[in-house]
Amino acid sequence: MNGPCPQMQDRIADYVLGALDAQQAEALREHLNGCDACRRYARNLKEQSKSLVAFGRQIEAGMGARQNRVIEALQNVSPAETGTKRGFPFIGGFMRMAIAAALVLGTGVAIGRWTAPRPVDVEQLRADMETSLAASLRPAVQEAVLAQVDQRLQAGLSKNEAKLRTELTGQIRDDVQRFAAQAASNSETLVERRFFEFVQLVEEARLRDRQHVVRALEQMERNRYRDRTEVRTGLATLIEKKPATVQQ
Amino acid sequence: MDEGSDRELALASYQGDRTAYALLVRRHYKPVFLVCLGVLGNVHDAEDVAQDAMLRAFQQIGQLRDSSQFGGWIAAIARNLSINQLRKRKAAAKAPETERPAGHERPESPYEDLEQAMARLPSDLRLPLVMYYFDGQNVKTVARKLEISTSGVYQKLRTAIRQLHEILTAQGDTP
Repeated sequence: MNGPCPQMQDRIADYVLGALDAQQAEALREHLNGCDACRRYARNLKEQSKSLVAFGRQIEAGMGARQNRVIEALQNVSPAETGTKRGFPFIGGFMRMAIAAALVLGTGVAIGRWTAPRPVDVEQLRADMETSLAASLRPAVQEAVLAQVDQRLQAGLSKNEAKLRTELTGQIRDDVQRFAAQAASNSETLVERRFFEFVQLVEEARLRDRQHVVRALEQMERNRYRDRTEVRTGLATLIEKKPATVQQ
Repeated sequence: MDEGSDRELALASYQGDRTAYALLVRRHYKPVFLVCLGVLGNVHDAEDVAQDAMLRAFQQIGQLRDSSQFGGWIAAIARNLSINQLRKRKAAAKAPETERPAGHERPESPYEDLEQAMARLPSDLRLPLVMYYFDGQNVKTVARKLEISTSGVYQKLRTAIRQLHEILTAQGDTP
């Protein structure tokens, strides 16, 4: 025996439940007219629904008898907790809690007043409390302040870490460049100084050479003057000693 | 006693007035029984648990915070007792079957197969089925009481009647 079309089973169940609108119901009826398996399935579900309704009626019919049995059994049950467990039944939860809170507060106040040894010196108590509080709070406050400062520093450092790293890198780069420039400058200055000294030495050497040349020229001039003088003197002597010979 | 409000009857019941409580039983027994049937899926067990719930409520009525809410309170008691009974039944499923006490025999029901098939449905499908077919409630009312959507109720009902048909077909008792 073939089963109903799988895609139609939910639709048939809805039809039995009366959940289809007129158009959907009409479309389903057209399908049922041409499909024996679905028609049989729909008929079975309808019969099942009728059985459920009839079963419900049977249960409903026996409801009075069941109630009677309960009422009959009720005669053997004692209302054991009546008036014993709770003095004020059916009071709402909020009201009960409010009453309980008032009782507790009232009891506490009464006990406090009853057991109080003497009136309290409010000024003395305040002074004692201030001293005690100051002594107990000061280290804690200091610790708290230090911790807070430390925490803020940590937070600030972590927050500006990237910025600091960038700035530090830039600063180091600038310093290196400045040092390199200064080193180069110093190097140039040293070369210049060495060159200047070299030039000075050359100049001094040249000056010394010139002085030697001058002295040599002067010496030569003196030698030439002396030679000329000696020549003149020799010629004069010669003229004086041998005039006849010369005339001859 | 004239029929009063639930609050008046509950207050009188608290004072030990069984007549007043009997009126509450007449008024609230059916929904209590159907809750038990919806959870347990068995008429006999539902009768026992519903009666137990009603008698316990009489003894514990002092715990009722708002006497005008007796219906919801007794239904919650019945539901909890039914769930406990269901757990006990599952735990004792492998235990040897014991005979029912004398005096509790029921006449043969023409719907025994249907009842057995219903008992095999999951309780989350059985409860809306019982409310819809046995209590004559429409889908909107069932949805409100179960706190689910109407489409959710239709889905559960659709699945329930299809599964019920499969169980009955497997039993050879197709209607």
